[in-house]
Amino acid sequence: MPERNIDFGRFGARGIKGSDAVARKLDELAGGIVTPVTVQRGWMARLHYLTKSAQTLKAARDAGLTVTPRTLKTWLEGRRRPSRANLERIDQAYRTVRRHNVARHLLKRLSRDGRGTRVEIHPLDQSQVPQPLRRVVEYRTMNVRRWDRIVGSWAAGDRQGLDAAWQDTIIDLGSQWGQYEYVTNVGFAA
Amino acid sequence: MSDFDAIDSLLDAVGPEAELPPCQVRRELRERARLSKAQVARALGVSPSTLSGWENGRDPAGEIRTKYAYLLDGLNTKLATETAAGTATGTEAALAAEQPLASDTAATVTPSSSPDPGQDEDGDDVEPLVVPEPCVLCGHPAAQRVAGFAQHLAPADCRPTATGALDTRPQPEPATPQPPNPSQPDRHASHTSRGSHPVRSTPPARRAFQEPSGPVDLIHEAVRDTLTEHQGDADAATAALLKKAIPDAMRLLDATRKGARYDVIAHPWIPDILKKQTARGADQIWEARPKWTRRELPPGRHEVTALDINGAYLSALKTHLPLGQLEHSTGLAHDRRRSGVHLITPPEWDHEAVLPHPIGQRDEPGPLWVTEPTLRLLLRLSGPKHQLCAPPQIHESYTSGATENLLEKFRIALKDARDTAIEQGDTVTLEYVKAMYSKFVSTMGESNYNRELYRPDWMHLIRSQAFANLWLKALRAHDEGLAVVRAMGTDELHVIGDWRRVFAEGRGVTEVKVKDTYTAGTDAGEYTAIAGEEE
Repeated sequence: MPERNIDFGRFGARGIKGSDAVARKLDELAGGIVTPVTVQRGWMARLHYLTKSAQTLKAARDAGLTVTPRTLKTWLEGRRRPSRANLERIDQAYRTVRRHNVARHLLKRLSRDGRGTRVEIHPLDQSQVPQPLRRVVEYRTMNVRRWDRIVGSWAAGDRQGLDAAWQDTIIDLGSQWGQYEYVTNVGFAA
Repeated sequence: MSDFDAIDSLLDAVGPEAELPPCQVRRELRERARLSKAQVARALGVSPSTLSGWENGRDPAGEIRTKYAYLLDGLNTKLATETAAGTATGTEAALAAEQPLASDTAATVTPSSSPDPGQDEDGDDVEPLVVPEPCVLCGHPAAQRVAGFAQHLAPADCRPTATGALDTRPQPEPATPQPPNPSQPDRHASHTSRGSHPVRSTPPARRAFQEPSGPVDLIHEAVRDTLTEHQGDADAATAALLKKAIPDAMRLLDATRKGARYDVIAHPWIPDILKKQTARGADQIWEARPKWTRRELPPGRHEVTALDINGAYLSALKTHLPLGQLEHSTGLAHDRRRSGVHLITPPEWDHEAVLPHPIGQRDEPGPLWVTEPTLRLLLRLSGPKHQLCAPPQIHESYTSGATENLLEKFRIALKDARDTAIEQGDTVTLEYVKAMYSKFVSTMGESNYNRELYRPDWMHLIRSQAFANLWLKALRAHDEGLAVVRAMGTDELHVIGDWRRVFAEGRGVTEVKVKDTYTAGTDAGEYTAIAGEEE
């Protein structure tokens, strides 16, 4: 695809992938436990979230928290502390389950009964690019109506799928959409 | 054109307002004539939504009211004759649809005052031209303009192009609005003028189909609708309006930004200093809220007046707001065209006894993040005019190109609605407007109550502007010889002395109102703390 950037940042442009910015924003909107997993308050809160019901526990197991019920019990009673590898797993499982739980609500908010949400795309940062190589890249806004693929692949943790979905969305920006593959920020509210 | 023509037309415009039938009848007349709103609106030169407003309870005014009354009158007469005659040919119906004001026979629409169809050449749509212009049909000079096109009124005058000097185009006969029927010489001439003066058409507005109403009507409409919904119960309506103040303020903001130069960027990247550290915590910006009480009163007993600044946050909407994403810079001097937040070391303040520190009651020493209004206030006070302190040292800045006019229309709309409400004693609108601007300011940051706008920088700037405005009022009082006793919060100023010669009293945003008066100090003149403070 000719619009794709091949070697982004070669001349000093800075930015992140648009889909990563979207995922970041969706994570921000999804909210959740902010205390880091490394402190007891943090991992305990996550464990409580993951063991609230049989369903969530099953989802946590599917998401990779494969420990015996006995171990879980000792953790929850505070008799033992999860190892570093297990903390990682707890965090990962929490993120997956949380995203999955929030996705439906988020999708409804973003679709707004088909009216969609206004998305602001802040272009990449060219301040470090030599003057002759700079291009005019404007701030753009667009209304995104179809969020199901974006939110779906975000909830599934499918980075490539999200990238493809976002790519298909920003094509609506017109012929310059390739300039918005990398951005500094994507802003929207749910 | 001589000056008298303008005066004549002005005199013409003054007179009793035309009678209009009730709203249902207006709609019924239009629908019975099978005219769409768009057609009628185009003929009257208004937008279709304005027309539906007129059919749903609103009334036009001025010249457009006369035109509308004339149209309705014409429709009324025409429909009456049509029902009497019982027949209307298809071609004529199509014609009438194409040109809503045209009629099958001129006499049907012509008011009874001029029943002779031969006299009605001097119609509203027909303007005589002082300097003849080439006719759009034949190219020869024509002395009249019909519906904006210079043309001959009678087909006999309209000779085909003999020499191609003026017009070499092929004769555009079928496409032009030429009279289709020679026996009906002028279908545009059905419009007669009132009286003998030719009525000049108003020059076209700069933009077509613009609502004549401003955004302030959004406020009045919302109030009216809510009042009808609650059957005129003011308390219930106020409560309902307060609930939807935030979305309504956003809608008003959108309405005021229509056609504006700058976009309102609602979700820019925000530097960490502007993010809250914890869910309920604060960010690192110091808003310079004044919280100052004079340590010692001048000797003697004094009458202290507590003044209240009206609509402090409403006035503070006029401030230099950064438009786009904030960009970091270090060690640069202040740029008047940019705005944002700055890390400064504030100067020493030697006037604590009589005036508050412009950065408020800061306990910690050292550099702090202040906003644009505070910095501008400090720079102004350190300038050659005041020389009250040393200039502040700017270390770092997050700024962006700024404008003072971003919320200006929004502010004016709210101010106008507020003024009208005060004038009419309309507490519902007053409360609504107050909730709109105060909630707009308090939720424009990272609030969950307003997710459409995430501008914590603007929130801080607007608040600081309100504090800076209060500070400047305190300075003004001090310069005019009043003793400032207390400057507190956004709108509280306690002074000793004849303040009425400094500030105007009233409820407008430029005026102040008295909150309280009390006596303080001692007769002996020894040190006393001020007691008996009232809110």
